[in-house]
Amino acid sequence: MELGRKIADYIDARLGIRDILEQNLTKYLLPRNINVWYTLGAVLLTLFALQIGTGILLLVYYNPTVDEAFHSVQRIMNEVPFGWLIRTVHAVGANIIILALLLHMLSVLFMGSYKAPREFNWLAGFFLFLLSLGMCLTGYLLPWSQLSFWATTVATSSSQEIPLVGDLAIRFLRGGAMVGQPTLGRFFALHVIGFPLLFGLLVLAHLFCVRRVGISRPPFGPDWHPAEPPARFHHEEHRGGIPFFPHYVAKDAAIIAFFLALLLGVVFFAPGLFFPPTAFEPADPFVTPKGIKPEWYFLWAYQTLKIFPSEFLGLAVQGVAVTLLLLLPFLDRSPERRPAKRPFFVVAFLLGIALFIALSVWGHYS
Amino acid sequence: MKQLLMLAAWPLFLHLTSIPSPAQTTETVCIQCHGALPGKLGEPVKLWKGSVHAANGISCHNCHGGDPTDMAMAMNPSRGFLGAPKDRAIPEFCGRCHVGVKEDYLASAHGRALGRGGPQCVTCHGNHAVFKATPDLINRRDCTRCHDYGRAEEIRSSVIETDRRITELEQSLLALHRTGIVTREMEGELFSLRNRFHRLFHNVDVEKVRNQTTGFQAELGKIRGQVIAIENKLKQRKLWGGVVMALLLLGGVLALLLHKSYKEEI
Repeated sequence: MELGRKIADYIDARLGIRDILEQNLTKYLLPRNINVWYTLGAVLLTLFALQIGTGILLLVYYNPTVDEAFHSVQRIMNEVPFGWLIRTVHAVGANIIILALLLHMLSVLFMGSYKAPREFNWLAGFFLFLLSLGMCLTGYLLPWSQLSFWATTVATSSSQEIPLVGDLAIRFLRGGAMVGQPTLGRFFALHVIGFPLLFGLLVLAHLFCVRRVGISRPPFGPDWHPAEPPARFHHEEHRGGIPFFPHYVAKDAAIIAFFLALLLGVVFFAPGLFFPPTAFEPADPFVTPKGIKPEWYFLWAYQTLKIFPSEFLGLAVQGVAVTLLLLLPFLDRSPERRPAKRPFFVVAFLLGIALFIALSVWGHYS
Repeated sequence: MKQLLMLAAWPLFLHLTSIPSPAQTTETVCIQCHGALPGKLGEPVKLWKGSVHAANGISCHNCHGGDPTDMAMAMNPSRGFLGAPKDRAIPEFCGRCHVGVKEDYLASAHGRALGRGGPQCVTCHGNHAVFKATPDLINRRDCTRCHDYGRAEEIRSSVIETDRRITELEQSLLALHRTGIVTREMEGELFSLRNRFHRLFHNVDVEKVRNQTTGFQAELGKIRGQVIAIENKLKQRKLWGGVVMALLLLGGVLALLLHKSYKEEI
């Protein structure tokens, strides 16, 4: 015990680890009125870590070739000790992450936390969201099931609608005329190396922005007033606030536990929720399964493409909507963040959620 | 230039992370052409779509031959096109795949009466809307078209329980398959058993059917045993999953209480 303390003291005298921990845990103060929505960042970090962990374990047995991919996943599910658990947690975890990301983004929008001086936080977060969707899409192909093959065929075929570069785009995505080994190879590389590397950097950038600018104070309560963003850099401090550790960490831990319980609830009691029967059939380019539908978080996009007379128009509308959302902090420049004082935004916000749900339900039943 | 390239790449990235458009079905030229034709020429496609053949991926060319990829040569005999068989040739036509059933049928009273008013495959199973073989095909309405229902009813009553067990086991295997369990071997055994069992009906020999049904039930019992073992394992997983979930929920509630106590301290 004494030896351990001496080693810790030795290291601390040289690196100042205790000081870093103190500055970022017990001396890191958060607004007193911080609410439960702020825990979603910690929830997401935990879920991402779980994805990385399960993903590495899956890599031990997964074989990214069209002849072996499906069988290797079957081996993982049936022969590898706890393989079924690792694989199901990875697949269901991706869906729970999208749910948590959507909630995180919606809370940031509702509380106006994307506004100046936090534009970069928003941009990094938004790119993390897009990258997460990209990882879901690339991961979808890897089991090389009927669902994987046809969902990817349909998803990549829309690229042909892009004017001038349509054919080039589809060949670039697939690595050939059809979904095949080159597609699996490039999706695998993106899923396990390309996107995660980029993702890690963006997470660091996002956390850096959050920590550097300071966490935003929830725009509620009588003493909250809008303030013009400072002309020079200013770290927002919360004197008299609650310490991050142990106060807020306890709340983070509670919500993380609830999300993990939700994840395990689906894994153990409703795994079929995210696995249609076609997910357990090997890919067959000559048999098109009936009613191939994208995952729930892509249903709105799927239905949008069906509403418009041409796929290109549908894609353009989606592109405009996503770009507007990305650039929102630069378009909505008012310092007011209280929802009660932003009726136009709140109505648009609620209509946006209603539209997302309506298009998704329509897409599911269409 | 870099900015231009980034702008050009932006819609592609958006596209990668959004999409899925409606699925498109790839069809053989037989279905493309006949599916659009009215009356007698288009009817087979409509009937086939609801058949057990369609459900199992058996398409026009698998029975009628020809080239399903070449519109111009699809029905050319040089590409193996056979067309529709005459009544007498139907057992040979279907028997190319259903070999065992053909043998038992030809040796039966039904088969021996082929060409002399006796029934052939499509009499009971239909042609393009091929019904799945079940004991329901043995029924008073159809059998009394040619003869008394007595013997047919005896056969039906002796096979119906075994057939019910086969169907039940098929559904159990399907449910296991949909949780990611590899059931291929058991499915194969059951498929073979089911075919051998259904082949047995075709000899229309009541005594033989009764005697062999016991053996089939013993084989079914073995597969059922394997299924029960897997189902028990899944139940155990759920139990452990439930325990971990309960612990997480309890941990979450305790953490919330801890957080509340900290807040009260401030």
